[in-house]
Amino acid sequence: MVAKCQVISLCRSLLRAGCKYPDYNIREYTKRRTLDGFRMNKNLTDPSKVNDAYAEGKEQLEVVERVLKVYLAYPPKTKNIMELKV
Amino acid sequence: MASLSATSLSFKAPSIQSTRISQVLRKPSSFQSISFGGFQSSKSLRLQISCAAKPETVQKVSDIVKEQLALSADTALTAESKFSALGADSLDTVEIVMALEEKFNISVEESDAQNITTIQEAADLIEDLVQKKPAA
Repeated sequence: MVAKCQVISLCRSLLRAGCKYPDYNIREYTKRRTLDGFRMNKNLTDPSKVNDAYAEGKEQLEVVERVLKVYLAYPPKTKNIMELKV
Repeated sequence: MASLSATSLSFKAPSIQSTRISQVLRKPSSFQSISFGGFQSSKSLRLQISCAAKPETVQKVSDIVKEQLALSADTALTAESKFSALGADSLDTVEIVMALEEKFNISVEESDAQNITTIQEAADLIEDLVQKKPAA
């Protein structure tokens, strides 16, 4: 059974990895998706399900970090319009 | 921290007010000595009762917390209000910490983030990190 602090730690790692993307869209998506994903599974009690969800989260963390490296190699040249202050 | 800036305030204050203010200010900080010349931005002559976080920081933190937890604008947030009392669970706390990191452009460690339970603690931690950052 995965401990609560591990789950919180995984959530933080995902959010912090997602913040590093130069692309506005992916950044917002990872933030939204991690929070939705964790909130959806918030009330799980079955240990096997909790472990499954945790393993899935870990995989996604690896994906995020791998894709981040690719995106950092080709940063966008102009800022997204959503990032420009009005 | 606040007491340091408090003494530096009393030295800069005009002579008429200084006696009154310095009397009031010297009461809590009996161990004060010469100010080291740390140039902290003490904007106005404020009596800083809380130890080490500026009221502006606490206000900014409260605004972010209100926004994240979708509280109505007139909920009274004191510096001592706990996040859990405001209806935030641990995920909300993580989100609040991330929003604070983004707003103040700091980086909070894992261990520090787990210890934040009230608004005052968050403001203190932020002040610490903001001061350490320019020195690095």
